[in-house]
Amino acid sequence: MNPNQQYTEAELVLLLTQRNEAAFSYLYDHYSGALYHSILSIVSDSEIAADTLQEVFVKIFRQIGSYDSSKGRLYTWMLNIARNAAIDTTRSKGFQKSQQNQSLSETVYESAGSVNIASDDLNLRKWVNQLKPEWSVLIKLAYFEGYTQDEMAKMLDIPLGTVKTRLRAALKELHKLIKD
Amino acid sequence: MNTREYIESGIIETYVLGMASPEEAAELEALCLEFPEIKAALNAFEETLEKNAMANAIPPPPGVKKALFKELEFSFAKTSLPEEPNQTVLPTQPAPVVAMKSFSRYFAAAAIILLMISGGLNIYFYSKFTETTQQYQALLIEKNTLQANNQIIQTKSLDLFNSMQMMADPNMQKIAMPGVPGKEVNYATVFWDAKSKDVYLLPNKLPQPAQGKQYQLWAIVDGKPVDAGVMGDCAGLCKMKNIPAASMFAITLEKAGGSSSPTLSEMYVAGKVG
Repeated sequence: MNPNQQYTEAELVLLLTQRNEAAFSYLYDHYSGALYHSILSIVSDSEIAADTLQEVFVKIFRQIGSYDSSKGRLYTWMLNIARNAAIDTTRSKGFQKSQQNQSLSETVYESAGSVNIASDDLNLRKWVNQLKPEWSVLIKLAYFEGYTQDEMAKMLDIPLGTVKTRLRAALKELHKLIKD
Repeated sequence: MNTREYIESGIIETYVLGMASPEEAAELEALCLEFPEIKAALNAFEETLEKNAMANAIPPPPGVKKALFKELEFSFAKTSLPEEPNQTVLPTQPAPVVAMKSFSRYFAAAAIILLMISGGLNIYFYSKFTETTQQYQALLIEKNTLQANNQIIQTKSLDLFNSMQMMADPNMQKIAMPGVPGKEVNYATVFWDAKSKDVYLLPNKLPQPAQGKQYQLWAIVDGKPVDAGVMGDCAGLCKMKNIPAASMFAITLEKAGGSSSPTLSEMYVAGKVG
């Protein structure tokens, strides 16, 4: 297998639906870093993020048949799988327990040698933190924690219309930030 | 509809990042089909997002790929890539060598020894079998020969019995035929049934006729020789022709099949009736 082999997105998707190992290897090499970043921005712990990444690629491999290229790019589809998997991980009991232990050890040892990556250093988090607090809270809840617009409206006790408008405005601003 | 306003609203970002409600998503997907500029804006944001993500990629721990491929080991298609036809030929793999348990080794060794013994015995028994078959064939031929001989002897003995019965018959007239002058050693006897007039010949002492020659019996009736038949290859008495009346009998050596008149120079024996 030529390691410099390039595929167009259509070729890659076709080969993946045929369960082609070389194409899947290419997919991993090409996208794992980007997806790992997005998972890390949600779960923080690099070990748990790595496990989630593996789980995400298994899902991609098994569900490639349901990808519809007319609705969007392959990366967007994979990003949403990764984000949903990462949010599911944070909601699992095991994860919440390990996070408690993590914060305990951090206070004692000041996170010396910890595998925990300070998620605020990640680009995605950094940009979100640059937004107005009333916007960033919505993105944190919606994007990083997976709350629906309805849930956020109830949680923050603001009208759904306002949530919708603010979220859109926040994302619009975020778009400008990452574009520059 | 004001597509520009819609595009600027931030709904595209909300949708792409997976935060749109199902209604919002359905609306956007429908509008993308209707308005190419919305579809273009959607695609542009996706590209920006992807480009940014690629630029900010964080390499995952190296063990993940290994573990992932181990997990999916048997899920991949077995055929090789179409653009690499050379790889369709699978490399030959040496047969795996499997270590045996010690009791299995003894068992295997014993099995091999038994197989060798069995092979040796097979050769030995086959040669024995061939030999015995040949002997059996020889015996079969011998048996058939003996059986044939036995039948010949039985026939001969039956003939002799019949001959003896005839000779003992009170109706049977015995005519002794001693050797003619010069052939005194020879001797033959004619048995003549007085009732049926059948003639039987007993060649007591006649030399073996030469090839192509046969003894012929003559009955002398009213001074003239009458053919009484040639002597075939008979055991005991030879049945000759029926002769109603005769004064004398004689035997000459004639050509095979007999002659119409006797060759007197070749007369061997002769005897008068009565």
